[in-house]
Amino acid sequence: MKLNRRGFIKACGFMAGYTVLGLNLTREAVAATMDFVGLRQKSVYDADAKIYKIRKSQDNPMIKKLYNHEDGFLHEGPCGHMSHHLLHTHYVDRSARVKALKEKGYKFNI
Amino acid sequence: MKQIEGVMTQTNAPKGIDPDSLFFVQVDATKCQACGTCEEHCATGAIQSINEDGIHQVVDPAACMNCGQCLVNCPYDAIYEGVSYVDEIFEKLKDPNTIVVSMPAPAVRYGLGECFGKPTGTYVGGQMHAALRQLGFNYIWDNEFTADVTIMEEGTELIQRVKEQGQKDARPLPQFTSCCPGWVKFAETFYPDLLPNMSSCKSPIGMLGPLAKTYGAEETHTPAQKIYTVSIMPCIAKKYEGMRPEMADSGFRDIDATIDTRELAYMIKTAGIDFNSLPSQGPDPILGDSTGAATIFGNSGGVMEAALRLAYEVLSGEKLNNPDIKVVRTHEGINTADVKVPNFGTVKVAVASGLKNAAKLCEEVRAGKSPYHFIEIMTCPGGCVNGGGQPVDPEIRASLFRSTVAQINKRFRARRVGA
Repeated sequence: MKLNRRGFIKACGFMAGYTVLGLNLTREAVAATMDFVGLRQKSVYDADAKIYKIRKSQDNPMIKKLYNHEDGFLHEGPCGHMSHHLLHTHYVDRSARVKALKEKGYKFNI
Repeated sequence: MKQIEGVMTQTNAPKGIDPDSLFFVQVDATKCQACGTCEEHCATGAIQSINEDGIHQVVDPAACMNCGQCLVNCPYDAIYEGVSYVDEIFEKLKDPNTIVVSMPAPAVRYGLGECFGKPTGTYVGGQMHAALRQLGFNYIWDNEFTADVTIMEEGTELIQRVKEQGQKDARPLPQFTSCCPGWVKFAETFYPDLLPNMSSCKSPIGMLGPLAKTYGAEETHTPAQKIYTVSIMPCIAKKYEGMRPEMADSGFRDIDATIDTRELAYMIKTAGIDFNSLPSQGPDPILGDSTGAATIFGNSGGVMEAALRLAYEVLSGEKLNNPDIKVVRTHEGINTADVKVPNFGTVKVAVASGLKNAAKLCEEVRAGKSPYHFIEIMTCPGGCVNGGGQPVDPEIRASLFRSTVAQINKRFRARRVGA
């Protein structure tokens, strides 16, 4: 098939058009999955898979040392007495102040 | 007031003050352009128009969960931080009689690099440890270690709750995660009837503070009264958590100071440290080493995945060969999953990103219609990596023109997703 000048320019035009369209579609696809927060999230999962050698809390040697049944600082294991003293807490009902504000006429979403 | 990584910040280091009386974020009325962006990002409605001109304010600290999503999304830099300890920490680092301990959260190392020109999300964990050492911290302990401790405690609590169902005085299911200080205050304020469902575990930083002053003091032969603990967080609400009166189980204040990622970047720059030329270093032993399960705490769905990596092995008695549990990874909204565990059955879980979504799950629990064993809630959309204390997305404040274009684009994308 012989390509004349007009046909060549036409083909170039189509090619340029499809290239721009293709680039835009790719960029949109990347942007949809990789916004600002997505980039940070991806980096976290990459580090979990590639940088951290151990991936389960129970396999951390320092966790094993902490909970060691014989001489560990938390030798009773998770949720033992020392854990409850240092690592567990209680919560406070804080609804009264918002209730009072609502009675004064303030509007909130909940 | 100091300008810290583009955010105005009051450096006041409050002590012994009821954190419920403090505005951790507030609008500078002279800078507010009445655009209402902050209100769109506020789940509770604490930030609202106060006059006919549409000038916004946080109307009362009681209604504000201190998440700072208003601050990081304000296109006009009109919202400032009300509490900062950077000046006090510089003083303590100079004092030879004070042993200053660092406690950086997982998500900090995925945001800090942006303040030094690195691409969004770059992992800078090793350089962060090196920078803390150069700043003069005596022990580079790491909050990721207590993320692992949290999994041991909270995972064990979940398994106990599952096993005690049907017994008298059984603690209720679903169990809510308790790592996120915005969510904890939200539950205390708007859903106090659901507090029995909240895990009794402190957050990872709530655990590292008292461990540093007891176990850490013992292991390093340091008098506990000399230790000054610095919590470094991607979060503003963690400042409120650190000031809670009950956080004193070590016999001292468990957490002496809390700063966020932006403030750490400010300290590194102020000290003249060339961050980008720092070598990669590890944390100090005892309270420093961590796992992949700990680092994913920074993402929505991460605490869930880390807890399942433990629960699977404990409940089934078998080894979990592939630790990736991708079904619970959450970018936005509500995500639910059924996780099959051999020798046990199905563990039903839900993950909510953002407090508006949390409220939906809370209403289900309140109505007694929640089918889940375990629910993870994060206040900031996407999790701590998008926290209110992280470096601000440059697009938001690029310029009025570009921020308007960015907003139009955002709306366009939102509509496309819905369509």
